[in-house]
Amino acid sequence: MNLLIFLQDNLSTALFLTWEHLWMVGLSLFIAIITGVPIGILITKNRQLAQKVIGGANVIMTIPSIALFGLMLPLLAVFGHGLGKVPAIIALVLYSELPIIRNTFIAIKNVDPAMVDAGRGMGMTKWQLLREVEIPLAIPVIIAGLRTAAVMIIGIAAIAAYVGAGGLGVFIQQGIARSHESMVLAGALGVSLLAVVVDLFMGFLERRLTPKGVKA
Amino acid sequence: MIEYDSVTKIFGAGKTAVTATDGVNFTIEEGETAVFLGPSGCGKTTLLRMTNRLESVTRGSIRVQGRDIMEMNVQQLRLGMGYVIQQIGLFPNKTIAGNIAVVPRMLKWDKRRIEERTDELLRIVKLDPEIYRDRYPVELSGGQQQRVGVARALAADPDILLMDEPFGAIDPINRHQIQDEFLKLQGQLKKTIAFVSHDIHEAIKMADKIAIFKDGKLVQYDTPEIILMRPANKFVSDFVGADRALKVLGLLRVRDAMNREPRNVVQSDVMAEEALRFLEGNNFRNLIVLRENRVLGFVTRRHLKYEQGKVEDFAEKFPEELAPREPLRDALSAMLMHDLMSFPVLDDNGAFAGTISYRYIQRSILELYSESQDD
Repeated sequence: MNLLIFLQDNLSTALFLTWEHLWMVGLSLFIAIITGVPIGILITKNRQLAQKVIGGANVIMTIPSIALFGLMLPLLAVFGHGLGKVPAIIALVLYSELPIIRNTFIAIKNVDPAMVDAGRGMGMTKWQLLREVEIPLAIPVIIAGLRTAAVMIIGIAAIAAYVGAGGLGVFIQQGIARSHESMVLAGALGVSLLAVVVDLFMGFLERRLTPKGVKA
Repeated sequence: MIEYDSVTKIFGAGKTAVTATDGVNFTIEEGETAVFLGPSGCGKTTLLRMTNRLESVTRGSIRVQGRDIMEMNVQQLRLGMGYVIQQIGLFPNKTIAGNIAVVPRMLKWDKRRIEERTDELLRIVKLDPEIYRDRYPVELSGGQQQRVGVARALAADPDILLMDEPFGAIDPINRHQIQDEFLKLQGQLKKTIAFVSHDIHEAIKMADKIAIFKDGKLVQYDTPEIILMRPANKFVSDFVGADRALKVLGLLRVRDAMNREPRNVVQSDVMAEEALRFLEGNNFRNLIVLRENRVLGFVTRRHLKYEQGKVEDFAEKFPEELAPREPLRDALSAMLMHDLMSFPVLDDNGAFAGTISYRYIQRSILELYSESQDD
């Protein structure tokens, strides 16, 4: 009940924070895609590089988010961006890279070698093969990676409120500081709801973008 | 024409080096099908894959239509050769039409021409374009998929086809059918074909020449008849099997062995008594009864003895008639089954063209054998 009253009183703030949250996650995901997918494709050509890149992305994943913000603070402070959206987005991008790179890598690697053989034998260039065969076939697995990344960084973005990035984490952070139960709940439920909605949307996208002949 | 000149391929280096092909020399003539035959690991697939540069040549050279493949642009080389593989390798994200259009699109054909060509090819491989054009590979059976694979390879009408066990993954019934259709097609198209197989039956059926490989070396390169009747060594004779004379029967046709001017014929209106005298005088086993060059049946001594009237009244129908294009194996099978030593051969219009008998079959085999001995 208290929660509803709280939301009623703070509706515009809640909507703004949700929008801010979504915006941060969206931008981070976008940056992660345009960097991660090409990296994932590139490393399919070089096994050693692949191990290093995926290993590196794995290490980043193991750093607790709060610690990552702490680590970035002095570095980004040099440019005057120690706090706020910049460190938040950098962190979210870094966390997204692993599922995106790994899934892209695995998806391209798993394309049936017979198809690659047929394509090359018919005279396709590497680029044509990638564009016409490997990437379309890899799409479902790549999007599954995006889905994992999206849901994960929606959660992590809540912690970004501690470095002043805004988003629904603000309710959680302030709610804890003030022992305001409804406020914490509003933030937490908001983040969860966002994650569920985005997950459903990505699932829809996954089905839509899967090439017709590949669907089971 | 494809010329292999001392082609050697070595995988790896140092102690782990493996020689896949070793100084292979031979030429596939224009419009001929050469089947590369041998046990797995004999280098036949590697040789095929070197032809379109999917594998590099370690030593020696390969010339296609007189040009060294190493001097050609690799994409251009491959666009000029159809490529069919055992795993078929259709792109599942493309429709059937989309798969066939791959090479024409790379060659920048206009849309209209690609569509027309796609439909034409689908009809050639006996798939109705209306039904199959917009389907996806998963919706087709293995045999249908490989028909599309063949159509895709033929799309831009290349002079050369490279086929790596193309029908190997298809069930036997469909395989025979698709082989027959492909043979018919090749009869019209006259492509220069390099065809990898490990199946001697398929090789005999499809090949103008068979190249037999062992441990990377070319052991024998000859027509199927010669490979069967005069194998170069024990390896080849073991590979072709102890029943090689029977396999030759599958290869030779009735027209290769038939007697075109048999004397044991009688017109339908001849009287039985006269026919019997003719039969006994020549020591024939039977007489074939003809009316206006159509076969009514046959008469033996048993039919004619003590009978009066025209022979046509006593003629017994042949249980089977043979066509000139049928394999001798089928003719022999008919003889064994019906306990008859000779059968009439009818041309496409059903007119009497001659007879085929056990004696003539045997003679044609012996002829082939001695011919090859004289080489």
